[in-house]
Amino acid sequence: MSKTITKPAKAMKKSGTMTAKRKKTLMLLTMVAPGAIWLILLRYLPMVGIVMAFQDYKIYTKDPTFLNNLTHSAFVGLKNFKFLFATSDTWVMIRNTLGYNALFIVLGLVISVTFAIMLNEITHKFVAKTYQTLMFFPYFLSWVVASYFVQAFLDPTRGLLVNLMESWGMTPIDFYNDCGPWPFILTLCNIWKNTGYSAILYLAAITGIDASQYEAASIDGASKWQQIKYVTLPHLKTMIIILFIMNIGKIFCADFGLFFNVPLQSGPLYPVTQVVDTYVYRAMMTTQNYGMSTAAGLLQNLIGFICIMVANTIVRKIEPDSALF
Amino acid sequence: MAQSSMTVKKKKRRINAVSIPTEIVINIIMILFCLLCVVPFIFVIIISFTSEESIAQIGYSFIPQGWSLDAYKYAFEMGYSLWRSYFNSFFITVVGTVLSVLVCILYSYALFRRDFKYRRFFTFFSFFTMLFGGGLVPTYIVCKQLLGLSDNYAAVIVPLMVNPFNIIVMRTFFQSSVPEELIEAAAIDGSGEYNTLFKIIIPISKPGIATIGLLNALAYWNEWYTPMLYIRDKIHIPLQYLLMQLQRNMEYLAKNSAAMGADAIKAASEMPTQSLRMVLVVLVVVPIACAYPFFQRYIVAGLTIGSVKG
Amino acid sequence: MRKKKLLSLALAAMMVTGLLTGCSSTTDTTSSSSSSDDTSTESTTVEETSTEDASGTTASGLDISEHVTLKWYLHGSNVTDDSAVMEKVNEYLGEKLNVTLEPIWGTWGDFDEGSTLAINGGDNIDIYFTCSWSADEYNQYAKRGAWVRLDNPENNLIEQYGSDVWAALPDVLKEGALTDGVDGYGVYAVPGFKDFGTQNTWDVNVTLLEELGYTLEDVENRSYYEFGELLQAAKDAKGDDFYPLNVEAMVLERMVTNSVIVNGDSGTCNVLSYYIDPEDVSKDIGSTIVNKFGTEEYKKFVEQTREYYLAGYIDPALANAQTANDTLMQKQKSAQYLIGTQSYALGYEVQTSAERGIEVAYVPCTPPYVDKTSTQGAMMAISTASQNPERAMAFLNLLNTDSYLMTLLEYGVEGIHYNLNDDGLVVFTEERDNYTPWRNGMGNITLLPAQEGEGKDFFTDVFIPYYSSAKGIPAFGYVFDPTNVETELAALANVAGQYALALDAGAMDPETALPEFLQKLDDAGMQSVVDEANRQLEEYLATQE
Repeated sequence: MSKTITKPAKAMKKSGTMTAKRKKTLMLLTMVAPGAIWLILLRYLPMVGIVMAFQDYKIYTKDPTFLNNLTHSAFVGLKNFKFLFATSDTWVMIRNTLGYNALFIVLGLVISVTFAIMLNEITHKFVAKTYQTLMFFPYFLSWVVASYFVQAFLDPTRGLLVNLMESWGMTPIDFYNDCGPWPFILTLCNIWKNTGYSAILYLAAITGIDASQYEAASIDGASKWQQIKYVTLPHLKTMIIILFIMNIGKIFCADFGLFFNVPLQSGPLYPVTQVVDTYVYRAMMTTQNYGMSTAAGLLQNLIGFICIMVANTIVRKIEPDSALF
Repeated sequence: MAQSSMTVKKKKRRINAVSIPTEIVINIIMILFCLLCVVPFIFVIIISFTSEESIAQIGYSFIPQGWSLDAYKYAFEMGYSLWRSYFNSFFITVVGTVLSVLVCILYSYALFRRDFKYRRFFTFFSFFTMLFGGGLVPTYIVCKQLLGLSDNYAAVIVPLMVNPFNIIVMRTFFQSSVPEELIEAAAIDGSGEYNTLFKIIIPISKPGIATIGLLNALAYWNEWYTPMLYIRDKIHIPLQYLLMQLQRNMEYLAKNSAAMGADAIKAASEMPTQSLRMVLVVLVVVPIACAYPFFQRYIVAGLTIGSVKG
Repeated sequence: MRKKKLLSLALAAMMVTGLLTGCSSTTDTTSSSSSSDDTSTESTTVEETSTEDASGTTASGLDISEHVTLKWYLHGSNVTDDSAVMEKVNEYLGEKLNVTLEPIWGTWGDFDEGSTLAINGGDNIDIYFTCSWSADEYNQYAKRGAWVRLDNPENNLIEQYGSDVWAALPDVLKEGALTDGVDGYGVYAVPGFKDFGTQNTWDVNVTLLEELGYTLEDVENRSYYEFGELLQAAKDAKGDDFYPLNVEAMVLERMVTNSVIVNGDSGTCNVLSYYIDPEDVSKDIGSTIVNKFGTEEYKKFVEQTREYYLAGYIDPALANAQTANDTLMQKQKSAQYLIGTQSYALGYEVQTSAERGIEVAYVPCTPPYVDKTSTQGAMMAISTASQNPERAMAFLNLLNTDSYLMTLLEYGVEGIHYNLNDDGLVVFTEERDNYTPWRNGMGNITLLPAQEGEGKDFFTDVFIPYYSSAKGIPAFGYVFDPTNVETELAALANVAGQYALALDAGAMDPETALPEFLQKLDDAGMQSVVDEANRQLEEYLATQE
């Protein structure tokens, strides 16, 4: 990107008076309006419910509307948060959540950017399109369906992989009772499912690059590798940083289906599959307490929010153009 | 012009194309990964044609002991409710995608404009909701009791209409593909804001818009949770929810079988078979996979799409 | 000019959205009565009607001069078209109670989310299905204020409008409905008269058993710990891929150790146990509640199961929560087992023998017994959000005593959904597939005509005597109230999820896993839950004396 962007202010002065400026702001506000109204109604208004996290939520029998229930329920302080720390496995689930997410973010980023660049380099566009279509297939399959597929390989009696190991004279692994291979399996599943999706975001960004920039670089004698390094990657930088920051915000939330369904909810695998979301889900099945689930969600979001603010501040210092806000 | 350059490329390799060995390596990696992606789907198709006896005997397998068309027959006997939900899914996806893309473009374009006075405020305004929400109950109350989103198409379309993630991604697309000089130039020419957006910006942002459109279409097509909460009649059910209903019915009975005792076993024995569930997966995936190339036309145009010349 | 054009575009877009809502609500009103058009009924359920009702009151003194719509949330239904049924039902109810009924046909998969959201959000639904195992759990939600107390001394709805149904119910069900709710200890829902006894049995594949040279007596005379020989014989005869012991592991554990579910314990993974005498279920063997996993019986049980697992008698798929039930059922259907577990219901031998193409016999572990959980298996509660609890009670009263109404709602319309054969037994038509409510989830099933295969006087000759013979367990009326230990139970459910199923099915080695498990339970506060449960039990027993 050229650094010769003239400040819009210059244009403003040219075009004239304050009314024009105000008119422009007004027009831009009308553009924001539909989205903003939606956000107010469907996102901000329900935030009233966050107080449930601090309440023993009860139904107000005389006139049980939601607001009445809220105003008549007793506050219990941080009691609803306690269940997250009531077990000796709290550390395990936090470690798993943060560890897997960090791994997924870094690996996901590297692989999808690489794939996007590779797809872009394929000479025959038809072939590239075909690859891309096929890559998207996992996104259509739910984790439940994916778990059947994984099971077809790992099943202790009829699994393909297990049979293969047997025929090679190895002692087959009892996959659903052995924690060892699961960090690897889960990571593979995550890449399998999400690469097509995120590669497309990067690919679309690459597509937006002006072809003349490559031509110019090529005429200057830049090798392919140099072109990627000096043209493509700088161009992708904003997208990479933005997606990275947004993923950081979800660092304390896990992909529920991946950790719940793919290991077939097998108990012995909990040490490597238990994450915050699965823990909360299993707790909710028992207590049905909305206060507790709201509390857990609030905590997850709060941690994500702090992480994002930190990441964004750092980015703004180094690379102000790429900051989220 | 683009066409002529295309024909040239077909005869000769592009001037700055990667070397042939590199391209072969790339292709091999791609083929391997694509196989990994497609085989599970083939697996699903195989299960959908597998006979129940075979599943009972050897479980899910690439090479079943027996084949059967029963599940497909059963699915098509569902008749009206199946076709109705198919129609619903199409309708919801098309209308929902158009509306959500429109709202997303408008919102993110304003955020993209550096000279927009409230730019930072509205960026934060949308981004904040990505992290914090009121939770299920209050959202349900607002949608159902305040907005009347219940048993109508709007009940599935409206709750998914705005996605802060897409807004920010779209803004990033604008940032990386629209030179600001263009907007200034248009302003000097006396073009109104909407005119600039629709006549100048949108045509050159097609890859980004197609991507967002695709993501929205997928989100609408795959959505089952919203209809589960807001649709109680049988008229507005989309296909994906019809599938999830079967899945969830099974899971529920499994989860509660210990407490329900005899009732659960009896109810579960009336549930559809494993292969039927896979038939529904096939029915869900095929149409959207077919629609995919439509969006792709714009996304993988690659370097052939000429960008704006300053 | 251009701006105007764009503005009209935006307007058009908004109109499209408007149309979507508008258009669909018109289809709603014209389609069937099942589609609950909430937008129109949300504000007022009571609709003004013309003064055509001259009478205005029923025999029980209920004022029915105003027309009322009752919304009714059901569980486990499979209903795609209820128009024919509801037309008749509403005609009948309109005459009797001046009521229009609007059922919401919850399915197995959506009831939990749907009902709890509706209750917590205050939707104007009048009657909810509730029970001891669904998410809108009867006791918990009675405590949270979701249900109207029906025998409230200040406004006793049962006495005023529900005396008929109350007279028709067996005492044990009435007692089972007592719970400590928001308005004191009393009845918060009308229990359904269904198969309320529990009897765990061994499900035996007699055909295979006899093939192997044994008889049914060989199973009857053996305990679980002596099944090894039979299972090995089956394994030898049928090969490696055959798993003779086809069990639901959690049920197996209760069967072998003679424990019952403690009502109010943590749903899917029970951590508490209460033991009964297998010979005489009502005999008091010292009422205490214990940590299920810390007992000697449990240790002995998991060690034996581990042995069976390692010998290849149990399919490993039965040890994963996700695959267990599917696998269990497939093996039952295809008769790929020798011995299994089954919570018994009347008439199962005939039904399952026919389904599986083998001779199936059920060998009971105990006589049928009644506990709080089984009596609360299906109930109807009136919501505190209901504007018309009186009319709702009157409806429940009619539903549970009027054979015509019950049959209509449950089996559908005669001539459309079912026909009566020469013996007066019900034979369903194909149309029934579009209208299949859950039979036990509606109310008094003894009002129904018998189905083909059940025999003419099934309910009077077989059903009622069988379940009347079921005895209550000691401390029958006790309900565990988890409010004070919710935090601990949430953590315990996760610990139990990790170990219980895998141990019960033999997939984990108890040698190492059991001590680990007990330690983690301890860390998560098991003892305080057990203490709390026993404290409540003692309190309950004190009130009984």
